[in-house]
Amino acid sequence: MREVAIIGIGLHPWGKFPQKTFIDLGVEAVSKALVDAQIQWKEIETICSGIYIWGGNAGHLSGQYLASVFGETGIPIVNVYNACATGASAMRMATMSIASGQVDVALAVGMDVSPEGFLGAKSDDPKQDRDVLRWRMVGMPNPIYWAIECRKRMEKYGTTEEDLARVKVLLSKYGAQNPNSRYKKIYTMEEVLSSKMVSDPLRLYEICATSDGAAAVILCAASKARQYTSKPITVAASTLGSALYGDPTLRISAISAPAKAEAPLLSESYSASQQAYKQAGIGPEDIDILELPDNSSWHYLQYLETCGFCGEGAAESMVREGQTQIGGRLPVCPSGGFASFGEAIGAQAAWQVAEVVMQLRGQCGSRQVADAKVGMAQTYGLMGNSGTTILKR
Amino acid sequence: MNIVGPEGKMIPALPDLFVWNEDQVQLMSAHCQSCDTYFFPAFHEQHRPGCSRQGVQKVLLNKNGILKSYTIQHYMPPLPFKTEGNITPYIIGLVEFPEGIQIAGIVKECPFHALKIGLSMEVVTFTLYRNEQGQEVVTWAFQPTDPIRDK
Repeated sequence: MREVAIIGIGLHPWGKFPQKTFIDLGVEAVSKALVDAQIQWKEIETICSGIYIWGGNAGHLSGQYLASVFGETGIPIVNVYNACATGASAMRMATMSIASGQVDVALAVGMDVSPEGFLGAKSDDPKQDRDVLRWRMVGMPNPIYWAIECRKRMEKYGTTEEDLARVKVLLSKYGAQNPNSRYKKIYTMEEVLSSKMVSDPLRLYEICATSDGAAAVILCAASKARQYTSKPITVAASTLGSALYGDPTLRISAISAPAKAEAPLLSESYSASQQAYKQAGIGPEDIDILELPDNSSWHYLQYLETCGFCGEGAAESMVREGQTQIGGRLPVCPSGGFASFGEAIGAQAAWQVAEVVMQLRGQCGSRQVADAKVGMAQTYGLMGNSGTTILKR
Repeated sequence: MNIVGPEGKMIPALPDLFVWNEDQVQLMSAHCQSCDTYFFPAFHEQHRPGCSRQGVQKVLLNKNGILKSYTIQHYMPPLPFKTEGNITPYIIGLVEFPEGIQIAGIVKECPFHALKIGLSMEVVTFTLYRNEQGQEVVTWAFQPTDPIRDK
């Protein structure tokens, strides 16, 4: 397999843009990535595009739509949906297309315009789509799942309300310094702890919003990368994981879980990260920066354990001691995280990769992690899927 | 055991999930005799890898379980969650049944201060709304096995 490098990234900032369509956002991200890579559109040899699930046929064939805007060239285009790991799946396909020797240059892209409020059901057939049951029979939007896991954690490890609030306070400082973030306000503990309760124990500022955004990544055979950039970023691993039987997580969409744990919590993310460590030939101790999916404060704490950055129940003390801050042992989400961006399902995993690339290039200004050499982007995932990307300079 | 409720008065919001008679409400699971896994809903099988998937039978779960986690929800979810008016704040509980499966559902008859992991819960019905025929459209729910007197 050939080594693969990232030569360009492009982002449409995160926010709410009611005047724009998903393709407007995607076109801006791709345009910026082409400029960043100093490459011509005609040199792109394959497109791996994240599906925009709320956009009908145009959204399901988002890659073809993008190609029509930039000019159709007959190249292979694959459209992929893996929920939160959609962008990671596009990354993995683009990486493999180059690693296998089939193409030299590939585009991975994701774009999303979120509906307002809680993300809702997509069908009304409970026999085919178990997701219908949680809506019609129980009334369970996504944050309820996170709250249920968070309550288990509080019971097991003594996680406090302050531990949950501290995550938002920390991330808001970084988000305020990121030109692409949606939320720029810096929060105090008091402000977070007095924000509205949504799904007890999770408060409004401890749950990510739903946003619009787009991210594009241009990848190239490492042997040719220096034709385009002086700072290629090597793809050390690009993996996908699925769930393991016996995972005790009450997973979004499900209304049941096994009583006896035979696998780790969030086993799909455990699987993806373990594969990535193996593929990259490095372990969590070698990672300098981590972008994890902080859909809620619970995720931030849990993912540190799930991906092997601390032992069971040790995440809270890691955060309390400042180990996850810029300047600490493992800076976590120096981008500001989902807390500052909000989730844009089809785009967010590609955005996480772009943030790691900017850190490894040393382009992050006041929120730059000094001398970051190896970075990891980790996704969450609906119904048992997750992606991990490890990058190094 | 009645598969539908007492004639005419109550109907489930969706079929094949639970049954009831005058004495008790039970959730409808399925059990795989080959890999010893319980499923809920019964029609969504989730076998152990390598299982032959032979010998899956519908079973009714014990009417009692233990509360393993919970949340109090303060915002109404969007449709298709349909209730008569705004029911917030409401409790969602995760209840573990002796067969070895945990199931989520609305918790009623439980003041917030009494919520505690380890509480014994029984399966009951919860009326979501009345339909045009005047029937109560119900789902499964949980309530403390021993009634809690509010302080």
